[in-house]
Amino acid sequence: MGDEVLFEQLKRWQEKTEAQTRRFPERENEFKTSSKIPVERLYTFVNNKEGFNYLEKLNFPGEYPYTRGIQSTMYRGKFWTMRQYAGFSSAEESNQRYKYLLEQGQTGLSVAFDLPTQLGYDSDDSHAKGEVGKVGVAIDSLKDMEILLKDIPLDKVSTSMTINAPAAILLSMYIAVAEKQGVTPEKLTGTIQNDILKEYVARGTYIFPPKQSMRLITNIFQYCSTSLPKWNTISISGYHIREAGSTAVQEVAFTLANAIAYVESSIAAGLDVDEFAPRLAFFFNSHNNFFEEIAKFRAARRIWAKLMKNRFKAKNSKSLQLRFHTQTAGSTLTAQQPDNNIVRVALQALAAVLGGTQSLHTNSRDEALALPTEHSARIALRTQQIIAYESGVADTVDPLGGSYYVEALTDEIESQVEAYIQKIDELGGAVAAIEQGYIQGEIHKAAYDYQLEIEKNERTIVGLNAFQIDNDLKPELLRVDSTVSKLQVDKLKELRETRDNQQIEQALTNLKEAAYTDANLMPYILTAVKSYATLGEISNVLREVFGEYQPS
Amino acid sequence: MEKKIRVLVAKPGLDGHDRGALVIAQGLRDAGMEVIYTGLRQTPEQIVATAIQEDVDCIGLSILSGAHNELFPEVIQLLKAQQADDILVIGGGVIPDEDIPFLKEQGVAEIFTPGAPISEIADYIKQRVAPQPNSVNKQSEVHKIDHIGIAVENLEQSISFFKNILGLTFIGTEEVMGEGVRVAFFKIGDVKIELLEALNQESPIYKHIEKKGEGIHHIAFEVNNILYQFEYMNELQIPLLQEQPKDGAHGKKIGFIHPKASHKVLIEFCEKSK
Repeated sequence: MGDEVLFEQLKRWQEKTEAQTRRFPERENEFKTSSKIPVERLYTFVNNKEGFNYLEKLNFPGEYPYTRGIQSTMYRGKFWTMRQYAGFSSAEESNQRYKYLLEQGQTGLSVAFDLPTQLGYDSDDSHAKGEVGKVGVAIDSLKDMEILLKDIPLDKVSTSMTINAPAAILLSMYIAVAEKQGVTPEKLTGTIQNDILKEYVARGTYIFPPKQSMRLITNIFQYCSTSLPKWNTISISGYHIREAGSTAVQEVAFTLANAIAYVESSIAAGLDVDEFAPRLAFFFNSHNNFFEEIAKFRAARRIWAKLMKNRFKAKNSKSLQLRFHTQTAGSTLTAQQPDNNIVRVALQALAAVLGGTQSLHTNSRDEALALPTEHSARIALRTQQIIAYESGVADTVDPLGGSYYVEALTDEIESQVEAYIQKIDELGGAVAAIEQGYIQGEIHKAAYDYQLEIEKNERTIVGLNAFQIDNDLKPELLRVDSTVSKLQVDKLKELRETRDNQQIEQALTNLKEAAYTDANLMPYILTAVKSYATLGEISNVLREVFGEYQPS
Repeated sequence: MEKKIRVLVAKPGLDGHDRGALVIAQGLRDAGMEVIYTGLRQTPEQIVATAIQEDVDCIGLSILSGAHNELFPEVIQLLKAQQADDILVIGGGVIPDEDIPFLKEQGVAEIFTPGAPISEIADYIKQRVAPQPNSVNKQSEVHKIDHIGIAVENLEQSISFFKNILGLTFIGTEEVMGEGVRVAFFKIGDVKIELLEALNQESPIYKHIEKKGEGIHHIAFEVNNILYQFEYMNELQIPLLQEQPKDGAHGKKIGFIHPKASHKVLIEFCEKSK
């Protein structure tokens, strides 16, 4: 059939349908994605009419620009890593949970730290009041890390640690535990989040000002490129940007803008792009708008590959491949009728898989109410296993590639993301855009719009502003044991009495002196950690030299 | 000059999730309040010091880390110690239902959990933060219903229904140019029924019918002195749709309450004929 006939037929169908809708109007006057991209009634061959070039836009899986995936066989080779973020109060209890999860078939660990740990405070610091062990495990010193990882073979398990501002300290503790297990650093696999820029815009657990934070990050890149070649030195995170209320387009745009800042700062520190870029990893959100999410992941891969090749002249194909972890969107879960969240999570998880994620965390149904119970966490893991083992979606690569709609959305997201990146470039890059409050402002606007849409009933959230029930049964919730705080404080007291305090003082003095110079701080931190200096003590030395960030 | 309600939105504890706090701060501002946001990681001492310094009427505490049982009561204790416990304290975030009785016992006035609409929170604050007793010495002048307004698509057809089928006493029709409407009045007992038909697309009735279709549009209460009623509403910070009364049917002075302040019912005040 010639093109002319096709177009003629399409025109005929459009006119016929248009006439029908005058009598039977559609549900909405206009349909839009979460990023306000208009959604047409039907996508066809014309949506790709401007010179659709398969090799340039999609190409084959494992080939530039990686739109269809970074590996040639994707999940036919092996499934994504099922990695559930977990960490509960004490190191002892978390260790038990990790062993349980590994027995249940989970294939990687993901450590959640409590907030004092994430902010570089010891459990006995006054800032830690009420927070010890609440949202994750409390780690005060190498002693706690030894307990946390007891009997877990670090040469076999890959570990992801959600730690940012004090990432260098926690990574040093991990290296030290491995050494005690007889595992050399070059064998270690895992990820530290280490993405400070998104802390300033979305997640809030920053300590030092941006410039000093960027220095610590490049120190880690440099150290790992020689000593921990298999370690992912950063997980550049859009997850929290999306949770803070951004759109899908903003999530990719601001994440990649942050990534550009890390790459530039590492190159400025004298690193070769192909030395560190292969170890950069990403972390995205999987939200409700199913096809937009799939297109988002595909667009992100293509944009990143082009950026690395054209802007940074990377040559190693690993430098061009955007590898990412995904977590389903916690902020979409409702406190009302919490069992409905299982279904939301399943759809979001499916979108992540169809988008080609490398690893996945599925949220638990009770997360709008409290931290997940073991029962809820198991359902969440089972959701992934059902997608992997039962649905068949993992049996071919990029099954939605070539879908008129998904390809059109992928193109549109790409062009809107590129416009944002250009705008941020004009503002002087991500660090400058953050300091000017531009990125925070954009996210806040989107978050407020979303809330108003719900309140005006322009957006339906099942169970929240529609289909409510009167007797909403609340599930049993996890209660965090409030004795953890005392346990940690007692352990600290004992540690401070039994360790070699003179050795620690020396290590901290050396670290302080090095912090005033341009030296790489990793070896100094590692020495301090090994002598059982606490997280708070090391962080306080750096606070003294670097100062603390105060948002304007 | 009316005094606006002042609210301190505060983030105690260490969690950095301030999407909710920021959205609520913005929403309360849009509801006419003055809102100060503390930023992240405030100790109870800092929060109480800011609240007193800023002379706020209400503190909204937002926390998602689970430390509410420790930190909320501490804020209350410190307020008491400073004799500032007249400040209303409310809380929000990821807070399990079973913790709410304990927090209320400790002195937190109300807890709003995920899904609570901003309008509900704003209404609650307005209701609880009673205006200073000496500043409002006026009383509402509303004593009777003057009329009920019904938006209609076709005035003639509707007149026929109310007149011929229901048998109400037809008073007459009138055009109110300021509102872009043609109206018909009926009398039933002491109360009137007003039918309103749009004269043009700018008319609020045209928009009402576009959005909601025909139906009851407003309830009008008679007041002796509309300027007095306006001042009374202003003192209570209840938003009105007009700054000054305007001309309605029969040359009466009229004005409307913003429906967001009156449970979505459009309420009209109309001045008694002199």
